[in-house]
Amino acid sequence: MIEYLLLLLGESIMIFGTLGILRFPDVYTRLHAATKCDTGGAMSILIALAIASEAPLLIKLKFLVLAFLIALINPMVSHAIARGAYKYGIKPEVVVDMYAWDNP
Amino acid sequence: MVEENLLVSPFGWGAVVLVITSLVLSYRVLFGPTLADRIVGINTVTTKTVVILAIFAFIAKEYFFLDLAVVLLMVNAVGGLILAKYMEGAK
Repeated sequence: MIEYLLLLLGESIMIFGTLGILRFPDVYTRLHAATKCDTGGAMSILIALAIASEAPLLIKLKFLVLAFLIALINPMVSHAIARGAYKYGIKPEVVVDMYAWDNP
Repeated sequence: MVEENLLVSPFGWGAVVLVITSLVLSYRVLFGPTLADRIVGINTVTTKTVVILAIFAFIAKEYFFLDLAVVLLMVNAVGGLILAKYMEGAK
């Protein structure tokens, strides 16, 4: 039962992340939607698969290793993309730009 | 015995939802205004593909697809870092 709840949570997070990437006005807000929603949704679905699987323990552990790697890699790549986009010259559509105070 | 049909469990329907959202996201990859938008779209589609591979390994009980998912995730990490580094240099 708990695995289907986790699956439903993950799928709804994935759908709203896609909606955010399509509808937000800026690169940085799109990165916000992509990072939080995609990492949380993928980890929820993978933990649900590890619970629901009838495989031996080593293969269940492989699902959890995949979830751990997603939690490690996805924020790192998003951070690198945000830094590269700022250096590329894309200005965020915000009122306060605190990164420009420290790095003129 | 390997199940023939993908839609035998709720996880199969979850894979179908992921495929549909990936197809919708390809709009952002094709028509993104800047280079960073395309990279964000590609990154998200690749993460969804990793989850689809894990769901297929669960349904078909072919567990070598999990190794393929790990390799695809690492290729995603290296490719994203290289594209971000390229974006820093290319004014």
